[in-house]
Amino acid sequence: MKIRSLFWIPIAIALCSSPPNVQADNDALVTQVVKLLSNSDHEFRAAGLEVIRTSAKGSENTKTFAAQLPKLEPEAQTALISALGDRGDVAAKPAVLEQLTNKQESVRVAALIALGEIGSLAEFPSLINALQKGTNLEQKASASALIRMAGATVSEKIGMESKSAKPEVRSKLIEILAARRATSEAPVIIAATTDDDSAVRTAAMNALGQIGQPEQLAAILPGLLKSSRGNERNNAERNIAEICKRISNEDERGNALIAVLNTVDASQRDELMSLVGRVGGKRLISFVADIATSSDVSRRAFGIDALSKWPDASPADTLLKIANDTKDDAERRQAFAAFVKVCANRDNRNDKQRLERMKQAMKEARNLEEKTAVINRTRTAYDVESMRFVRPFLDEPELSQIACETIVELAHHRNVRNPHKEEFDVVLDKVIALAKNEEWIERAKRYKRGETWERQR
Amino acid sequence: MLDQAFEALKKFDYGTPLSDIQAIEDAVVASNKDEAARKAIEQRLIQALGSPISRDAKDYICRQLALVGSAASVPAVARLLANEGNAHLARHALERIPGVEAEAALASAAKSLTGKLQLGAIGSLGVCGKSVAIATLANLLSHTDSAVVRGAALSLGAIGGVEAANALQSAMKAVRGDKNLMIDALLSCAESLLKQKKSKEATAIYSALAEDNQPRLVRLAAARGLLACAGA
Repeated sequence: MKIRSLFWIPIAIALCSSPPNVQADNDALVTQVVKLLSNSDHEFRAAGLEVIRTSAKGSENTKTFAAQLPKLEPEAQTALISALGDRGDVAAKPAVLEQLTNKQESVRVAALIALGEIGSLAEFPSLINALQKGTNLEQKASASALIRMAGATVSEKIGMESKSAKPEVRSKLIEILAARRATSEAPVIIAATTDDDSAVRTAAMNALGQIGQPEQLAAILPGLLKSSRGNERNNAERNIAEICKRISNEDERGNALIAVLNTVDASQRDELMSLVGRVGGKRLISFVADIATSSDVSRRAFGIDALSKWPDASPADTLLKIANDTKDDAERRQAFAAFVKVCANRDNRNDKQRLERMKQAMKEARNLEEKTAVINRTRTAYDVESMRFVRPFLDEPELSQIACETIVELAHHRNVRNPHKEEFDVVLDKVIALAKNEEWIERAKRYKRGETWERQR
Repeated sequence: MLDQAFEALKKFDYGTPLSDIQAIEDAVVASNKDEAARKAIEQRLIQALGSPISRDAKDYICRQLALVGSAASVPAVARLLANEGNAHLARHALERIPGVEAEAALASAAKSLTGKLQLGAIGSLGVCGKSVAIATLANLLSHTDSAVVRGAALSLGAIGGVEAANALQSAMKAVRGDKNLMIDALLSCAESLLKQKKSKEATAIYSALAEDNQPRLVRLAAARGLLACAGA
């Protein structure tokens, strides 16, 4: 019985291994692919690379393909590494790692990118090194690899590294965590919002804008308070406002933000009013309006600033009342500018409603500065009536230039311009004659010819 | 109803409402699973085709015979292959009538007709041809009219298989000018062989076309073919 069992073993092994004709086909395929890889014509190489990406499975084949790397020209090496990465077989890793020291940047970049598919934590030091010391392209490739690299502990490792790395690498690692949607590493990112380096703080706030959750708001506010006034503060506020928006109910959103503000020291609270303005909503408007009309002048400034950042026009009447009631010139300027700004917001109102607010603002304007602001903001009401409203100011020497600019901006919109082309042509001719800015003149001419204009960024 | 429709068919011409003869089409559709009914309607259509009716009426009958025709319809339909007005719809019917008789009729027309009618018959052989058509098409590869040679090569490519490939390869040796058409047809043959799992035969064609003396795009197509033959 035992002998009979042993008799079947070699037959079973033979049946399990590839049949001879299958093996022959595979050998023929591998031979064909290898031959194509060294072809000087890239389209022939592409035919072989397609096979590497999609078929001829098996580690032995992968090793055979990868072994061709040292024999190829840099362009072919780059393409092969990319294909091996797409193939996703770790058997190619040793050969790909060797190419990290290739003289050609494109090859090194391809190898770094491929590690995103076939690499593991073992390659982490190489990727961090490239992120820190590599060329611009190598840094991008390394970041791309770290974003795509699979594995449960990869994000954790990146988070740990982000605590100790140099600031320029730390900010990149935080960006990578955000791109990986690594919510598990939120504590690390939140801690980075109070980093001494502003680039790290900014990266952390940007990351939280993408993956932060409302329940983390209290922990994030110290980061906002640490941010420098100006661009960094604005950026931080925008990102925190994004987190707040993840609460879909407007009242709940307002309540959550007020609750978080109550956790902050009272002396710092007013500084956060600007954030409240960015979040907006009915629940918060009275909260801020109280501050904007309080007896303390410095608190009022914070309140007016917050209302000026409201995402819609709802605080317009409050701001106009403040502007008209105040006896302080600076406060009048701040409140009126804020009033015009929120009136011009492109919110749920239509263009005619926006224009009506602009007309109201013009009636309330007391001086040239305020009238200039109104004419300037009228460009947000995309309607022929806006042009008709601004047109008379072309004849007022002190307002003609801002009127020229606004009319050019309105004419930029084909849907506004084309149905009233004749009327626009006449007013654009006037702009061409009056404008002192060459760009406006050029744009006016283009719009007259029915051409568009690409905005400089 | 059907009798009235056949009666109306005698006067049917361009502009006549189709509703007058709708009963014929209904009978054709209804005969789908009834062999006796199919034979009956086929016979009536053959009979009508032999009577003095308009060109449009003949076209109409050809369309119906494409659905219910058998070997019995072939002689009547084949007579229209030489008629410029009806040849197109006659080929339409013969391409769809099952059996070697239709193929033989088209092969005969491909040999005997000239001009556009001949090219039409050659093209139809590419659509429905199997083994019978190959010899006819192979002979036409040495025709003096290049349009006929082109049509025959394309049809052989469409038929595919070893015999068609052999015919094309033999003819290609004699071609002195542009061989691209033959090569296209050969590639079609190789693809059909690959579909039939005859990778050895396909490999032989692709290998010949992958040689250095072939144009770049042909070599590229052959390289891709060889990869497919090897199981890619």
